[in-house]
Amino acid sequence: MLTEREILSTLEMLENEHLDVRTVTLGINLLDCASHDLKRFQDNVLSKINDLAGGLVKVCDRVGNKYGIPVVNKRISVSPIAVAAAPFSSSQMIEIAHTLNRAAQEVNVDFIGGFSALVEKGIAKGDRALIDAIPEALAGTDRVCASINVASTRAGINMDAVYLMGQKIKRAASLTARRDGIACAKLCVFANIPQDIPFMAGAYLGIGEADAVINVGVSGPGVVKKAIDRALAADPRMDLGQISELIKRTAYKVTRVGELIGREVAANLDIRFGVVDLSLAPTPNVGDSVGEIFQSLGLLSIGVPGTTAALALLNDAVKKGGAFASSHVGGLSGAFIPVSEDLNISESAAAGHLTLEKLEAITSVCSVGLDMVALPGDTSD
Amino acid sequence: MNKAVISVLGPDRPGIIAAVTRMLFEKNCNIENVSQTILQSEFSGIFIVVLPSEQSLADLHGYLEEGLTPLNHHVFVKPLEVTGPVFTMARSEPFVITTKGPDRKGLVAAITEIIARYGVNVTNLQAVFKGGDDPNSNIMIYEVDIPADIDQQGLYTDLRAKATELSLQISIQHRNIFEAINRI
Repeated sequence: MLTEREILSTLEMLENEHLDVRTVTLGINLLDCASHDLKRFQDNVLSKINDLAGGLVKVCDRVGNKYGIPVVNKRISVSPIAVAAAPFSSSQMIEIAHTLNRAAQEVNVDFIGGFSALVEKGIAKGDRALIDAIPEALAGTDRVCASINVASTRAGINMDAVYLMGQKIKRAASLTARRDGIACAKLCVFANIPQDIPFMAGAYLGIGEADAVINVGVSGPGVVKKAIDRALAADPRMDLGQISELIKRTAYKVTRVGELIGREVAANLDIRFGVVDLSLAPTPNVGDSVGEIFQSLGLLSIGVPGTTAALALLNDAVKKGGAFASSHVGGLSGAFIPVSEDLNISESAAAGHLTLEKLEAITSVCSVGLDMVALPGDTSD
Repeated sequence: MNKAVISVLGPDRPGIIAAVTRMLFEKNCNIENVSQTILQSEFSGIFIVVLPSEQSLADLHGYLEEGLTPLNHHVFVKPLEVTGPVFTMARSEPFVITTKGPDRKGLVAAITEIIARYGVNVTNLQAVFKGGDDPNSNIMIYEVDIPADIDQQGLYTDLRAKATELSLQISIQHRNIFEAINRI
């Protein structure tokens, strides 16, 4: 028998606080599609993706309807193409991007990630071919997302790769200059990229993963904010320790939803369940903002002094709650600060409270660095 | 084996269960199941007991009545046929239907009519009506088993339509969600 409190508080989260499963991402290993023949490779890729992902959207919708919690996005991530398609040239890589795009269209997912390379220690032939292809590949397709890992704690920073990527970003932007530089929105440059992120644009299926896997991304900045507001309204003298505990418990609940839905989707598709990534990922919708959490915590706006500490508290509590909720927590599992995707954060930037330097500083406590920040197109190399 | 169902109803106070169980013990009865609820200030309890073969139900009833009348309680006793449940339920899934809205007569009747019409069984009901228009004061929570072979969409549509007619906010959620979120 459920208690009235359990039922009503759960319903409050589901109905008024924008709790949803942000993404179910099917990871597909393409390494067994290998061929030195481009057409063969493309056919293998198309057919493997169609086989495994054909039922993804339908199953996600069905499970979402069963629980009344929408699976907002259904996506695919693949093995890093620089590895899977290592023998190919740059122009062939562009064609492969088109194949991935087509596969995404055929199974009706809105993004396919994995047009990726890992170059933290050095750039191999396939890596270079892919990197050179990125601007045209992203400009010429709608659904393909790319990610490049240029650094790792162990290997250090590959400065050549960093410089190269700076140039590619500029080129990608100029190729899509009349479309708001959209190609850049589908590209991530990483340090220490996790190999199982379900969120785009960074999603790819790492080496060492299974043949196919279901990863779930849950979000709920609105849920966290409302929980803080409610608690402070009831007891304005709550201290930071108690607030941290509250955020942790809320993160627990949100993660449990993701795990429940993810496992059922995985069971329905007969594909193994991978990880839950609990990240506070905002959208431009009202009430779905990470920036507002900072205001609930007592800051004027995200970006003012105190932001780094507040973000450290938030991130820490979210990770702890998520870790208890699921044995399989992965991906980024932190707070996202995507400047142009969060109404409150973009207002803060416009008002001058949040600067590039501040964003760089908070990277020290939160995994997501410079995310969806608009720079002038004529920024020099 | 003689089984009986005993129902006790009356003003709540310490000592009711102690009194009932003492009398059952004195009559050599064995208690198999007990459930007890308090609504506003009224106590209600159901006991399923096994009587020794020489114990008559009428005599037990009289004994209990005599002991409980000073406490202002009513007792109802009936034999329990050991034949199993009256209906059979096909494969079903547990859901929770919740409504909130302004108070008026006929809310429970309206919702349960639809639930019954589709062959759905209510396994637990909590309802509180404090009156007035504040939706948080008038809440119905039905835990139900929805059989897999009924027209689920039809059920949801009818429930939502009725809720709109009665100015109720309604939600229909699978039970797993509540357990996943609230239980470790």
